[in-house]
Amino acid sequence: MLEVKDLHATVAGKEILKGLSLSVKAGEVHAIMGPNGSGKSTLANVLAGRDNYEITAGSVTFHGKALAELEPEERARLGLFLGFQYPVEIPGVSNMEFLKAALEETRAAQGKEPLDSVTLLRKAREACKQVDLDAQFLKRGVNEGFSGGEKKRNEIMQMLLLEPTLALLDETDSGLDIDALQVVAKGVNSLRSPERAIVLVTHYQRLLDYIVPDKVHVLSGGRIIKSGGKELAHELESRGYAWLTGDAAAENA
Amino acid sequence: MVVHAAELKQAAIQGLTHVTGADGLADFRAHARDTLAAVAFPDRKTEDWKYTSLKALEKDHVRVLAASTDTPALPDLGGTQVVLVNGQIPDLDSLALPAGVIAQPLSSHQDKATTDMVGPFTALNGAALSDGLLLSITAGADVDGLIHIVHVASGTQAASAHPRLVIEVGSNARVTLVEHYIGSSPILTNAVTRIDAHCNSQVTHYRLQSEGSEARHIGLLEFELARDARVTSFQFMQGCALRRNDVHAVMAESGSDLRMKGIFLARGKSHIDNHVCVEHRVPNCESDQVYKGIAGEHGRAVFNGRIHIHDGASGTNAELSNKNLLLSNTAEIDTKPELEIYNDDVKCAHGTTVGQMDATQLFYLRSRGISEIDAKRMLGTGFVNELLLAIPDDAVQAWVTPWLADALTEGL
Ligand SMILES: Nc1ncnc2c1ncn2[C@@H]1O[C@H](COP(=O)(O)OP(=O)(O)OP(=O)(O)O)[C@@H](O)[C@H]1O
Ligand SMILES: [Mg+2]
Repeated sequence: MLEVKDLHATVAGKEILKGLSLSVKAGEVHAIMGPNGSGKSTLANVLAGRDNYEITAGSVTFHGKALAELEPEERARLGLFLGFQYPVEIPGVSNMEFLKAALEETRAAQGKEPLDSVTLLRKAREACKQVDLDAQFLKRGVNEGFSGGEKKRNEIMQMLLLEPTLALLDETDSGLDIDALQVVAKGVNSLRSPERAIVLVTHYQRLLDYIVPDKVHVLSGGRIIKSGGKELAHELESRGYAWLTGDAAAENA
Repeated sequence: MVVHAAELKQAAIQGLTHVTGADGLADFRAHARDTLAAVAFPDRKTEDWKYTSLKALEKDHVRVLAASTDTPALPDLGGTQVVLVNGQIPDLDSLALPAGVIAQPLSSHQDKATTDMVGPFTALNGAALSDGLLLSITAGADVDGLIHIVHVASGTQAASAHPRLVIEVGSNARVTLVEHYIGSSPILTNAVTRIDAHCNSQVTHYRLQSEGSEARHIGLLEFELARDARVTSFQFMQGCALRRNDVHAVMAESGSDLRMKGIFLARGKSHIDNHVCVEHRVPNCESDQVYKGIAGEHGRAVFNGRIHIHDGASGTNAELSNKNLLLSNTAEIDTKPELEIYNDDVKCAHGTTVGQMDATQLFYLRSRGISEIDAKRMLGTGFVNELLLAIPDDAVQAWVTPWLADALTEGL
């Protein structure tokens, strides 16, 4: 579904991804871990097509299409969803108006029939309920004044409505209390299916107790330096990253 | 060819030779002609016109138009319509006005035709005035529905129209007025509107300027608020070849309260200049101005917001804010607050900003499958949304919202 080959990418002219390869197949759940500043969010932003994030070498295909040639909205309509590490606040644009536009345009592009406003509202309310978010949040400005945890739940709520084939969740678990973590995990798990794939960027093994990954990767210095099964996450939890990054001093400390 | 300010003035004066009008306004017209002869037309060195040039005006633009019989399609806001084509007042006897509203030709009350502010264009309006419209709301009336005054600019050649509207809202009366400027004509509309809100009256006023991109519009809007009068004015304006609005409000008696909310858009090559001045002459009045501007492509917007608090005006509470959004780096917005405060016992706040569309917000919307153009439209309307949501009349809100959304999206 997603093939990343020897990807080099720059952010504002500075090379951050330096030969990253990753292959995600339908039905799989991957976890990407790695030190701060290693390039995890950069990868997510490159895949979603953010301005100033430029692919300088290598290739990325999604459902067989070269991502580099697609606008961010085209990628989304193709089934890519990025759950942001820091969802932005958009005062003046209501959550509901936003969801309506997103669903309308995505569904139209996917050849699905449009949802009438009653169905749309019902679905949005259901999605809110699934992530334990009061339906009042639909009326508020997008993420406006939401707490950290509410923002993350709002991301998952959008994901549930948009039903992407590939969900890239960038630290959706950070800043969540244990109850919220379970709610979010339940939401993500409800989307799991043989046709869909999920890539979780996380610092915490804890999330992976609830969403069990098929593969775990370590991203460091702009490349995947190790891949393994779910047990790798446990190993990282107890040993840190130094044994992998070759930073012997840090490991011995 | 750029016409020199002095030549424009000369052409304006010459153009008046064939202008005739209602006898009742003869003295007023003569006086205005004298004033016109005495004042200079603005040029680059005129401080008040620093960012707005008259280069969109040819000599013909100050040529006064003959009456037109054009009857264009009119926007329907469900109110009582009063239509002025090229400034000509309609047959007042045939108007079906709601109870409490009286329409008369301004020539029947020459003394009411004067304004506080008199610049060259106000003088030209007076000098060229065949007749104006005087609407009186009787004391205590609670007028049903909207009074929808539609100003139509009609004609394909450069020329000018000079509507003058005087509205007197009697004590304790309540009324909702819509001043609506439409038409795709290239003529210059040089409009003067004066609204007198008498004691304890309540006025909701809308000024909708949706003329086409070829229009030229110079307008003066005056308010005077008497004791405990409350005026809320919404001003929604689209840029055109030349648009200059002067809004002058006088808090003339204590307890009066003025709220003005405005949105102005300058897209394409359009120009819009708003000069807003609120004068607090007496104690214990409140005024609050919130204006938001958007400029894109080669659009140019100017905002000058002045609060003038006189010596005796203690207990004044005055606020002014102007936030602007630039859609492209070829567009320009110049905004300047001016405070003149001659009293210590006042609360006065003002703020102006110019920002760009937030790239992170734009990306967020697009990452959810929303096209760039729709995302920009959403952010643009989001920027002004608080003002649109504040519109108390549903019919006006339903008309204004899509109009501004379309005007925002156009050419994106
Ligand atoms: N706009 C930018 N300009 C310059 N450098 C940037 C920019 N954005 C990110 N970087 C740099 O790119 C590197 C990778 O950042 P990225 O956000 O991808 O890290 P991360 O792995 O997601 O870290 P974290 O775990 O803290 O979220 C960092 O060194 C960061 O400072
Ligand atoms: Mg990150």
